[in-house]
Amino acid sequence: MGCDVVTVSTDTQFVHLAWQRDEKELAQVKYPMGADPTGNLSRMFGVYDENTGLALRGTFIINPEGKLLNSEVNFYNMGRNIDEMMRKFKANVYLAKKTNEACPSKWKDEGDKTLVNPGAKMVGKVHEALNA
Amino acid sequence: MTETAAGLKLGQKVPDFSLTTYDPVKGDFGKFSLQDQIASKRWTILFFYPADFTFV
Repeated sequence: MGCDVVTVSTDTQFVHLAWQRDEKELAQVKYPMGADPTGNLSRMFGVYDENTGLALRGTFIINPEGKLLNSEVNFYNMGRNIDEMMRKFKANVYLAKKTNEACPSKWKDEGDKTLVNPGAKMVGKVHEALNA
Repeated sequence: MTETAAGLKLGQKVPDFSLTTYDPVKGDFGKFSLQDQIASKRWTILFFYPADFTFV
């Protein structure tokens, strides 16, 4: 389940370099830091704020075929929860293998309860399916 | 008021894109492209944030 995280802001790669070297919180950072000074990629994903020239806090998961599977966008003043991002990523990888299952909200990792073949039989019976 | 474009729809194929990057592991600039990710069958998590030198 190879995955690459890329961070993106409208800063240039030069500023990314300066920030990563200056900020001790970033000393352990291993992922590439993408530069989108034109805002073109941020616009494509709908997170570019035309009034400020900045990108909102958007997280997007793209599968190995290039298909967009998740999007989450927070306003400027709210940070993201990395555990939730990892939960979504793991669920995507799991669901890519188990195409007849669905991961409910409490699903955290492989082995947790899933809904199998959600369909007509499960209508009104989700509680029973989750607690079977 | 925040003015943003519509963006992409879930389930759609993301149009190809590439980015110039700073790679802290190599300490050098590099390139990231969706086409390369598809060719090497890898997942991608794009993590946008407003600005360097602020919290993310």
